[in-house]
Amino acid sequence: MTNTAPSTADAFDAPGAGDFAARAEQIAKVYGSGDAKVIALDAVTVGIPRGRFTAIMGPSGSGKSTLMHCMAGLDSVDSGQVFIGDVELTRLRDKQLTRLRRDKVGFIFQAFNLVPTLTALENITLPMDIAGRRPDREWLDKVIDTVGLRQRLKHRPNQLSGGQQQRVACARALASRPEIIFADEPTGNLDSRSGAEVLSFLRDSVTSMGQTIVMVTHDPSAAAYADQVLFLQDGRIVDTMTEPTAERVLERMKGFDLPGVAAR
Amino acid sequence: MMARVTLRNLAAHKIRLVLTAVAVILGVAFVSGTLIFTDTMNKQFDDLFDSIGKNVAVDVRAKKAVDDPMDDGTQALPVPASLVETLRKVDGVKDVAGNVTGYAAVVGRDGKIVGTESQGPPQLGVNWVPGGDYELTSGRAPRGSGEVVLDSDTADKAGLRVGDTVKIATQGPPQRMRLVGVFDAGGMMGATITAFDTPTAQRLLGRPGYFSDIQLSSAGPSETELRDRVARVLPAGYEAITGTQLREDAKSDVATFMGFFRTFLLVFALISIFVGAFIIFNTFSMLVAQRTRELALLRAIGAARPQITRAVVGEAVAVGAVGSTLGLAAGAGLAALLNAQIMGEDGGALVFTATPVIWSYAVGIVVTVVSAYFPARRAAKVPPVAAMRDDVALPQRSLRVRVALGSLLTAAGAALIALGLTAGGGNPAIPVGIGALLVFLGVAMLAPVISVPVVRVLGAPFARLMGAPGRLARQNALRNPRRTAATAAALMIGLALITAVNVLGSSMRASVDAQIDKQFAADLVVSPTGAGGMGTEVAGKVAAAPGVTAATAYSLGQAKFDGKRHYYVAGDVAALARGSNLKMVSGGTALGRDGMLVDEDTADGGKLTVGSVVPVQFPDGKTERLRVAGVYAKNDLLGSRVVAQQTYLAHTPRPRVQGVIVEAADGAAVKQAVERALADYPNVKVQDRAALKEQAAEQVDGFVTFLTILLVMSVIIAAVGVVNTLALSVIERTREIGLLRAIGTDRRQLRRMIRLESIVIAVFGAVLGIAIGVVFGAALQQALEGEGLTELSVPAGTLGVYLVVAAVIGVVAAVWPAWRAGRMDVLKAISTE
Repeated sequence: MTNTAPSTADAFDAPGAGDFAARAEQIAKVYGSGDAKVIALDAVTVGIPRGRFTAIMGPSGSGKSTLMHCMAGLDSVDSGQVFIGDVELTRLRDKQLTRLRRDKVGFIFQAFNLVPTLTALENITLPMDIAGRRPDREWLDKVIDTVGLRQRLKHRPNQLSGGQQQRVACARALASRPEIIFADEPTGNLDSRSGAEVLSFLRDSVTSMGQTIVMVTHDPSAAAYADQVLFLQDGRIVDTMTEPTAERVLERMKGFDLPGVAAR
Repeated sequence: MMARVTLRNLAAHKIRLVLTAVAVILGVAFVSGTLIFTDTMNKQFDDLFDSIGKNVAVDVRAKKAVDDPMDDGTQALPVPASLVETLRKVDGVKDVAGNVTGYAAVVGRDGKIVGTESQGPPQLGVNWVPGGDYELTSGRAPRGSGEVVLDSDTADKAGLRVGDTVKIATQGPPQRMRLVGVFDAGGMMGATITAFDTPTAQRLLGRPGYFSDIQLSSAGPSETELRDRVARVLPAGYEAITGTQLREDAKSDVATFMGFFRTFLLVFALISIFVGAFIIFNTFSMLVAQRTRELALLRAIGAARPQITRAVVGEAVAVGAVGSTLGLAAGAGLAALLNAQIMGEDGGALVFTATPVIWSYAVGIVVTVVSAYFPARRAAKVPPVAAMRDDVALPQRSLRVRVALGSLLTAAGAALIALGLTAGGGNPAIPVGIGALLVFLGVAMLAPVISVPVVRVLGAPFARLMGAPGRLARQNALRNPRRTAATAAALMIGLALITAVNVLGSSMRASVDAQIDKQFAADLVVSPTGAGGMGTEVAGKVAAAPGVTAATAYSLGQAKFDGKRHYYVAGDVAALARGSNLKMVSGGTALGRDGMLVDEDTADGGKLTVGSVVPVQFPDGKTERLRVAGVYAKNDLLGSRVVAQQTYLAHTPRPRVQGVIVEAADGAAVKQAVERALADYPNVKVQDRAALKEQAAEQVDGFVTFLTILLVMSVIIAAVGVVNTLALSVIERTREIGLLRAIGTDRRQLRRMIRLESIVIAVFGAVLGIAIGVVFGAALQQALEGEGLTELSVPAGTLGVYLVVAAVIGVVAAVWPAWRAGRMDVLKAISTE
């Protein structure tokens, strides 16, 4: 299981290195040891093109979440290098890493995205409050209007619906104009209508604001909102697809003969 | 099955339960430590008194007409030496030894008395009885007026060797003597013993030709038989008691004191346990809340409510049992430490009886179970459907019920305190104590409601100055008012009591200052530093000092006035009246041999007016009928009763001076002159008004400090409670903390957030406690106004310091939870379940 497969970066039509908002070079991650050893990432090399919407797909246990965590600086790698812009994450200490996440990265998680004691507005400006920066008022207004939450800014998370909570999370991720946004199954807990709302909002922010977004999902219809899809299996990138549609993605996934996905 | 759930839960929440157990351990350690320590002290005193006078079969002494607990033997009528020959002739008597006991202290090389002054173990002077209780370890027995022997501990402390010259302070003029021997007195717990030959002892300590008591050993007859034979030959006014009785009397005096001491310490131990109960209650509430889903699942699959309750109570029993065991061990350690500290090398082994063991387990387990019972009941109320839902909170009684109940308890407690303080008669400590308990419970119930506005205000500066961490900290302290309140309430109790003690202490100082200003009209007062009093010659020496215009000695005596024991002051009444600013209400200060003055309260209480006649029995057994010559306004320097000097002298075998009131032309210079005149008397101090105030302040401060130290244990337990709450909150907020970390909060900010929350909780508790404490203190001051506590003084500076201390406690309590939060895995926020 060494890095033999010529599967990764050259497998899709990569722009120049300067155009990557984030990239990974030969990163590997192993959990446990002995019989319990699980190879989560197997020498993955990948670039996330700037200003594009990239989806990472794969069945449970394929390593897609681990890949995202490692690229976002939430988790460490055993070997290899991770870059966000020109900064190499793997060299950073916790404090610098934290600062980098705060200033350059936005996050949207599947659930529990918001601090329950803060209002929607406070949650949106939280990364900037933590940094001790004043939010850019104009930009903030634009973001709030785009997600359509102006009437709900004073509400606490438990007074918002699941879809509204995810939109607040999106607004938070966008508000500090990060270099890249990582979204981990952002629609996983939502009904299809709310999910579609959130996804089209993400799509818009890429198209109209030039935001870079990476999204982990196992839902082919969510992946269809992306510009390109990376397919992960057993810790390796096994395929890519540009201009995806739900049907093509579903078809491709079936091609992997993955019982977990086929059952869906 | 449910037993297994209990056990698994204990295993799964080790750290949380250890923290709960700490509250139990500390409280139980206090209880068991007190019990073991006092048992040990009792045993050691018993051994001491058994060894002293172990050969005494019968003791002959004067009957005590006035039972004076402060009497060291010098005030009672002494036994004439001539009685020794009479006793020797009694059939069955082997040896007869006359004892002389009194005050004699060794002056060290630094010019100070060896041993503790005023309060504490006594400085005893005795006559050397060959073949008595003590054995010489070096040198020889004292002979003649210039020789003395000392116990070895005292000699060591003073750095004296056989052959040295030693200065001995007595009630009379100090003596220079030669140290001719050293003896081993065993464990005397800090008392010093100085022994002279009998004539010297009689001259210095008692009265020539008299003994304090006479001890007999038996040639064969039993103690009681010998006692009865001796009793037949005794003149009136004397009694014979068996040696056993003598030893038991000595023991029971100590036992009474130790019993009081034990009760006193146990009260503070109970306060600690009461505080611990809050912590246990709070911890179990949090544990149950965090396990809502699990409990719901158990209910859903068929567990009955009582089973759930039992499972939680079972955990409490286990925590209580483990906590009690460790607490018992810690208590034994504490007792051993105290024993070594107080007794030094002489300290015997610790005494273990069943009592501390039984009480430790009883207190530890009962308190834990009772505190955990309410959370356990609530756990059983979790609806089974909660297993299926995400955001189910435990059903909680509405705050309205809580407010009503809390207000009721507070009001009832306040009423009980007021009743206890005003009703008089009986023991006010019990209603006041229970009242305080109810107030604490009541305020604790109200605290969630109070906490919201107070925490909002307290947290405001943090929110403003510290940015996001400050705002989050404030919100976190507000998000569960019950939890914040219960944690703060634990701290409130200790601080309320400490504050009340401080307010009382401060008021005492202010009142004493006011009294001294109002009533101390003289320039100086000369008084003894120890319990021994001064010889009558001191007044003469003072009067001779340059600049002194008048020196008036006064004495303190006890007598039964109309059958009741009271202190009285005796002296030159006219001078005393000048020196104490005495204000007469009626009559005059001219006192004859049969006259007395009383203060207003005494006059009112005894329905006395000028001319009334009161039968007064003196310690020598004689009764006189004294006529009230005048009634004076309450005077704290003179107390309630004044008699003429001659009357005191007539009834006191060895008179002593309690103080000399000095009037002078020029105070400041005269103080030095008087001190020079008394340079030979290390056991005498000269004080002006400022020094008197300072002395009073020192005494009050010492007492306040002592009580504060005893209350600190409850504050420590409360601090453990803060740690507990924060640690559990951190665990509960794992995902939130992960989220904060993910979006860029660094560890320092996270730690700050938790620290600030801790500070807000601790300061909230302190604010509540200090507020209640000030009210308690003021109430006590009002109640004691008639006893001389005329001024109310709130020591704002000290209370401010306590607020700061509370904030520091908050910081310290947050160290570990904050460290844990900082180390938490960021990814936990993202992992769904």
